[in-house]
Amino acid sequence: MSVVDYFKRVPTMTAEQVRELMNKKGADEYNLVDVRQPREYERGHLPGARLMPVNELLERTRELDRRKPTIAY
Amino acid sequence: MLSTEGFGEVYSMEGGIHAWDGLTATGAPEAGMAWFPEKASWPDLISLAWVLEDGSRRFYSELPSRVNDRDAGGLFGQLVLAEEHHQSALSELYRKMTGAAAGPPARSGEDVMEGGVKVSEALAWVTGRSVTEVLELAVGLETNSYDLYIKMGRKMTDEHSKEVFSMLASGEKDHLGRLVGLLEKKV
Repeated sequence: MSVVDYFKRVPTMTAEQVRELMNKKGADEYNLVDVRQPREYERGHLPGARLMPVNELLERTRELDRRKPTIAY
Repeated sequence: MLSTEGFGEVYSMEGGIHAWDGLTATGAPEAGMAWFPEKASWPDLISLAWVLEDGSRRFYSELPSRVNDRDAGGLFGQLVLAEEHHQSALSELYRKMTGAAAGPPARSGEDVMEGGVKVSEALAWVTGRSVTEVLELAVGLETNSYDLYIKMGRKMTDEHSKEVFSMLASGEKDHLGRLVGLLEKKV
C-alpha cells in the first residue's frame, strides 16, 4: 500500500443509510467492521460488528468476505 | 485501507459511532459465547439455544403481571408466543437433523435467558420499574443476544449450526423491531 492510499476518498454512508441496509439485509450479507479500540467496542457497538482495531485491520482482512459490501466505523 | 485490499464496495459511516442513534450492543467480542462451548456439536448448540429461549419465554410471561401497561402486556404476550415458536422451530430442527423422535433433551433448573442474564435477577430488577425502563431492559437484552447470535453464526463452520444461529438472529431482529416500536410510543 502506498502512502497515497491514505488520502484516497472513501465513499461514505450516513448512519441512516447503514440502518436501512442492516434492516433490509441479513447479517451475513455485509461486513460491518468496528475499527476502534477494544474498550470503545465494549462500551457500545453496532449489533454484529466485528472488532478490528485499525492497527490490526490489514493483517485481518482474510476474516472478511471481499465480495460483500463493507461498512467501517 | 480496505479498498486497496481487493474489497469492491467499502463505505465509511459518516460521523462514526457518534452519529449512530440506533441500538448498540455492549461487551467484548466474545461476550456470551462461553454459553456455547467451542467444541459443542450442533445438536448440543440447539439444546443450549433452546434453554435460552425458554428463559426468555419465562421472563416475558411474567412481565404482564408486573408492568401495569396494556400495550406492553399485549406485546409481552406476543413475545411469549414468539419464543414458543422459536422453541418449536429448534425442536423441529433437532428432530430433522438427528432423526430423533423428540426434541432436545430437557435441561431443568437453568435460570438463564437470552442476553446471558439470570431470569430471576431480571424479574427482580423489573419490580417497581416504569414501563419504559422495562422496555429498555428488554431492548438491551435482545440487542445483546442479536449481536451474539450473529457472531455465533459467523463462528460456526458447519451449515447446520449456521442455520440455527441465522434463524435465531432473525428472530431477535424481529423482537427488537416490536420492542423499539412500542418504546418509541411510550417515551
